[in-house]
Amino acid sequence: MRIRPNRAGQPTPAELEELQEWRSRRFRILVCIDGSEESYEGLRFAAQIGHSDDCDIILCYVRPIDQGLRTGGLQVRVARENILEWGLDLPGVRYLKKGFEILIKEEGMARDWNAMTSSRAVWGDPLGDIKTEYRHESGRAIVLKLKVAPDAASGILDQYELGPYNLMILGEPSRWQGELSSFWNAGLVQKVAMLSPCSVMVARPRKNGRGHLICTDGSEQSLDAVRRDAVLAQHCGMPITLFSVAPDMEARPRIEETLAQTKSMLEEMTIPVANTMVGVGDPIGQIVEAGKDYGLIVVSDSGKSRLKRFLVGSVAFGVMGRSETSVLNVR
Amino acid sequence: MVIHTQINLYYFWEKRWFFIAMALGAFMLTLPLPDGLSRDGMIVLTMSVVATILFVTEPVPLPTVALLIVVGQILLLGIDSTKVAKSLMTDSVLFIMGSLMLAVAVVKQKLDKRIAWLIVRFTGTKTSRICFGISVVSGLLASFIGEHTVAAMMLPVGMILISLTSDDPKKVRNLAAVLLFSICYGASVAGIGTPSGGARNAIMIGYWKEFFYDPTDPDSARFLIDYLRWMTFAYPMFLLQLPLVTLVLLFTFRPEYRDLSRAVAKLRTQVREEGPMKPGDWVSLVFFIIILWAWIFLSVDIGMGTVAILGACAFLIAGLVKWEDLNSGVNWGVVLLYAAAISLGVEMKITGAATWVAESFLTLLTPIGADQGIGLWVAVSALTTGVTNTMSNGAAVAVLGPIVLNLASAAGESPIVIGFITAVSSAFAYLTVVGTPACTIVYASGYLKTTDFLTVGWRMVIVSVVVMLAAASFYWPLLET
Repeated sequence: MRIRPNRAGQPTPAELEELQEWRSRRFRILVCIDGSEESYEGLRFAAQIGHSDDCDIILCYVRPIDQGLRTGGLQVRVARENILEWGLDLPGVRYLKKGFEILIKEEGMARDWNAMTSSRAVWGDPLGDIKTEYRHESGRAIVLKLKVAPDAASGILDQYELGPYNLMILGEPSRWQGELSSFWNAGLVQKVAMLSPCSVMVARPRKNGRGHLICTDGSEQSLDAVRRDAVLAQHCGMPITLFSVAPDMEARPRIEETLAQTKSMLEEMTIPVANTMVGVGDPIGQIVEAGKDYGLIVVSDSGKSRLKRFLVGSVAFGVMGRSETSVLNVR
Repeated sequence: MVIHTQINLYYFWEKRWFFIAMALGAFMLTLPLPDGLSRDGMIVLTMSVVATILFVTEPVPLPTVALLIVVGQILLLGIDSTKVAKSLMTDSVLFIMGSLMLAVAVVKQKLDKRIAWLIVRFTGTKTSRICFGISVVSGLLASFIGEHTVAAMMLPVGMILISLTSDDPKKVRNLAAVLLFSICYGASVAGIGTPSGGARNAIMIGYWKEFFYDPTDPDSARFLIDYLRWMTFAYPMFLLQLPLVTLVLLFTFRPEYRDLSRAVAKLRTQVREEGPMKPGDWVSLVFFIIILWAWIFLSVDIGMGTVAILGACAFLIAGLVKWEDLNSGVNWGVVLLYAAAISLGVEMKITGAATWVAESFLTLLTPIGADQGIGLWVAVSALTTGVTNTMSNGAAVAVLGPIVLNLASAAGESPIVIGFITAVSSAFAYLTVVGTPACTIVYASGYLKTTDFLTVGWRMVIVSVVVMLAAASFYWPLLET
């Protein structure tokens, strides 16, 4: 189905409801692009996960609103319009187009995309939000979205409100950007990861590791997350390793038993488990250390409320920040 | 909106600086008055501190700060609202408003392609020469029509040279940095050249007149700085800095391509498609020259702001620009902001708060020997450079102006020299993206990283400070007598 924009470029409430209902039946991945190599790494993850027909990938670039004072009162818009007059692309569009090219190359679906572009003025900026939707015959969609928002984090979270997503992928801030700037970028990833209502993945450049390291503490929420990611891992053809951390040596046998139960639970679902491991000591440190040999660490903090994450943090959150491999936080 | 669906705590966290600033303000007002500061002085000082925090941290839209300053003057100081409203509009503010409208009008004339063609015709295709050409032309234009205008106009020129050289941004990282910094630093160093180069210059001229000019005292007429007099002080400094900009840039970023002949050839064909100059282009050129002439020769009598506004009217009457374009291209909130900041600055002077801060600052400087001469100059320059890197340079001058000018009086230094040091130092915001308008605009191209500004910025700061101290030591004293 298509969005039929009315005169203001906005779908009507009835259409919106229909659209959301339709969207909720699909697996939707939001990939945040900022032009850095890390964010494209996240995109490759998305391509890997989302190569089935019921999966839509949305690429989103957020441009902060212009603060007039910084440009001495002359709106950046004037320069931007001038750039467009010269036939040049704005930076966000440039990044998104590159992302689209990477995506169709990864998937080998270079042809048969129908493009539809719509835009609407936001925050008083007529160039505002621009959305280009590419549809494939198979029903798949790739959407390029350029958003204008007060800051990147709230733009990304705002985008979530527009359509529910199943997964949000963020690029890890790169090291060569320097201490100061990576501090700010990390702030962004941290903020989104903290407030996002859906699962979040922080993508880092892929090293040699392969397969999913699924961490569980045996709780109900955690087991649910294990089931969900196990399906995903099997879908992508990735071997699964179950991992759990015991606080001390005494608790180890108990944890091993829980892991064995989890393993048989997955095997009942006809999902093979390659290996199970138990670490002893500080959970965050153990998970980060074990995760070095894998392509993806899977953690969950679905049991925590947003307020709790904000105030006390969680193991999952600590792993997202400190890991050297990509981390998927299942919610 | 995100806010509505998130917990309230998130809202407070987002706006935390607003509440911190307000709490600090309330706390300052309950403090006992220090010696030598009146109650009104304390209120104005508190308002300045709160406004500065809000300027730097931006928890609320900046024009809100301007509106709060207006409200604060009426409610806290008890000044009549009509009087406050009157204090908002001065020739400096008219000038800022007019020159912003002129900036949009000039950018809309699409003369950029011809300028680009002119540059490469003179420089040839060597990268280093093109960079120097771009700096020179950006600088010369910016010194008269303001750095933001030139940055907006020249940005596509830089971007097209980059994109015609290579599609892959990674292969042209250094080339992009050199070309784009040539535009923004070229324009930045030029912004000090003439009063019309930037809002801060007009603000400083306004402060000199407001604080030191006394119509009954013919001796004080030397504080009326006109267009030509400003140029004799600052223009040589700008010319001296121009070649240094290119040298610093080429030394910092070694471009991947030494020759841009491929890009230049493509650019030429693009420009040729434009055809010869149209009548409208000639008319805008003539307007431009008349405005410059009027600034130089008429602004003493009718004010710089009047000339700028007349120029904007001329472009509108001739139909060269649409009001809608002006309306959407100018951020009117900024005009409001400058108006409020200047009005607060004048209030700082009237209530004696500026003198008190200046004297306290001077007592701090005395032990380290920075209470006079070069020591004081360096202190003032460092203070301005520090403040200007965190907010726009116009706002920095508006906030610091009253303080440093009083500092000059208290230390027995020339307010003119100190004023120039402040105005000129406010252009040394090379370190951050938000420092100068030209940097912010060029950053919108997406080719530069924030760290690039640090990499090259500190060298530029050193070069500029040395040039300025040399001017203050040897050149300006000659002009003052």
